[in-house]
Amino acid sequence: MRFLLELEPSTDLDALTAAAEAAQAAGLDGILLRQSDALATPLVAAAALAPRVREAHLAVELDLGDRHPLELAEEAAVVDLSSAGRLLLVARPAPGAEEHYGEALDLLRTALAARPFRFEGRRWRVPADLPQNEHRIDTHVRLMPAPAQLRLAVWGAGAGRDEALRRGLGYLAPADADPDELGAAYARAETALGPALIGTTRARREQLDGPAELVARLRAGRAAFGQDVAVVAGDAATADVLARAVSPRVQLNRLPDGLEAFWDASGAAP
Amino acid sequence: MTSPAPAVLDRLGVGLWTMRSMASAPRNRIADYAGFRDDAILAEQLGFHSIWSAEHRLWYDGWCPAPLHAQAAAAAVTTRLRFGNAVLLAPQHDPWALARTAADLDRLSGGRVDLGIGLGHRDAEFDALGLRRDRRGRRMDEALDVFAAVWRGDHGDPPPVQRPGPPVWIGGMAPRALERAAGRGHNLIVPQTLYPRELRRLVDDVRSRTPGPGLVGVLRDVWIEPDPARARRFRDDFARHFREEAGSWWVLKGTPAFQAPHELEKQMARIVDSALIGSPEEIAEGLAALFGAGADFLCLRVNFDLADRAALRDQLHRIAETLPPLLSGAVATAEAV
Repeated sequence: MRFLLELEPSTDLDALTAAAEAAQAAGLDGILLRQSDALATPLVAAAALAPRVREAHLAVELDLGDRHPLELAEEAAVVDLSSAGRLLLVARPAPGAEEHYGEALDLLRTALAARPFRFEGRRWRVPADLPQNEHRIDTHVRLMPAPAQLRLAVWGAGAGRDEALRRGLGYLAPADADPDELGAAYARAETALGPALIGTTRARREQLDGPAELVARLRAGRAAFGQDVAVVAGDAATADVLARAVSPRVQLNRLPDGLEAFWDASGAAP
Repeated sequence: MTSPAPAVLDRLGVGLWTMRSMASAPRNRIADYAGFRDDAILAEQLGFHSIWSAEHRLWYDGWCPAPLHAQAAAAAVTTRLRFGNAVLLAPQHDPWALARTAADLDRLSGGRVDLGIGLGHRDAEFDALGLRRDRRGRRMDEALDVFAAVWRGDHGDPPPVQRPGPPVWIGGMAPRALERAAGRGHNLIVPQTLYPRELRRLVDDVRSRTPGPGLVGVLRDVWIEPDPARARRFRDDFARHFREEAGSWWVLKGTPAFQAPHELEKQMARIVDSALIGSPEEIAEGLAALFGAGADFLCLRVNFDLADRAALRDQLHRIAETLPPLLSGAVATAEAV
């Protein structure tokens, strides 16, 4: 089970840095920056965090389908290079542009591969071959620079579950997603895709109401839908609780009898 | 008593970090993006006003298509240095996303964004994004309206640190560029090939308009090399470097430039001739002439992606350490005017 600390959306770089440093120091896998009214362009914040926090993965959750996916792919490539390959894109359907979400996922991922491409979608055609642009010379375009990572991870999120799963992509489920329903969705995708779904990320947002409750929920999530990522909103204190009291208890399928009682008694947990 | 040097460096930015890995000078990209941050730290330590980038897209050398994102990383490791672009290709972006990216970077950096924008010229870039190049002027005007509205808070966005927004620098020297700068009170950043007498005419023209522009900035290609033989070699490298870009991208009198060698050489002659390559005294004389012709600010283009990082950093030192005393008189005169 991997853990991402979701930071309070903000453009206060020192506050973002403090929480991200805590997540990294605690050994969590990374942080997540979510697009919101307080942080309209989380990719630029991720770029700013990159030199402040040198090891953590930088997950960025944003709307997909409203603006041109090629522009977004370029920004992602630059942020991935700026972070030496630590970016992870979590793309949710943009409000009002839900019908374009699947096509946007396809164009985004096509552009991120290091080869010239043509893309003929219903919403986007790349290149557009507009007769007014008379001095274009190529039938294809190549996104340059490519991301630092050989294959930049793109997960779906929010209402994009079925579009993400049928492409074999990872998916970040909302906190209120029903584990059994998620399990059924993954089972359907496995039937359709077979081994193409092996290793695909199965993430859900979680709340840290109490460590024991979260441990129980993560174990249930793992059993019901194979959950392997938990995204938890919080601060430095949250990171510490996740690292000490939650993460050790959910990595293995089964712990030796008495180990958790030993941890409780020896004060390993906060 | 204060040193005259800071006043000069307050008028000098350095550029243009474009993050290219060219056939003639291949680089490791991850190292180059990290190197940009180190260069920004050095530029800040040396006292420069700002560091400038520039945007193009979909080109083999990886010219950075999202400079504001690269600059965010450099802003995070500096505290005073400003970040400019000469230029971002505003018509090629979603204007809302660009307005918000600039505002977020302004907040993340504590108000250190200089938003230089221009039209763009490559058909291939517009076509990839489904845009008509011949509509770029209209899109530019729309983008400027969107920037103002977003930064004013008309759509509920939190405000940038700088009010009413990050300073906008309109790139170019065409009549419409001058109109945009003068009509909206924006700064102007003019290309590196303008000679002082041409700059004087342009400044007189744009300053005669109302409400008139903010600052007039000028790009200039600069390389300090006092040794004449080495300076000649650098000029050859410099010419070859620009011949690749101009030959590949420019359309001269309707013909792609590599297929119009005579026209290309005319353009190249101007680029090479206007570059200041030589001793600090020679370069200071050329730059003083630009201040004398009405420039308020100079962006010295010293990074051409052709020299290695050590040579580039050596140039930053040379510029910061030799030019300010030679330019203090010209800057004082410009201020008095």
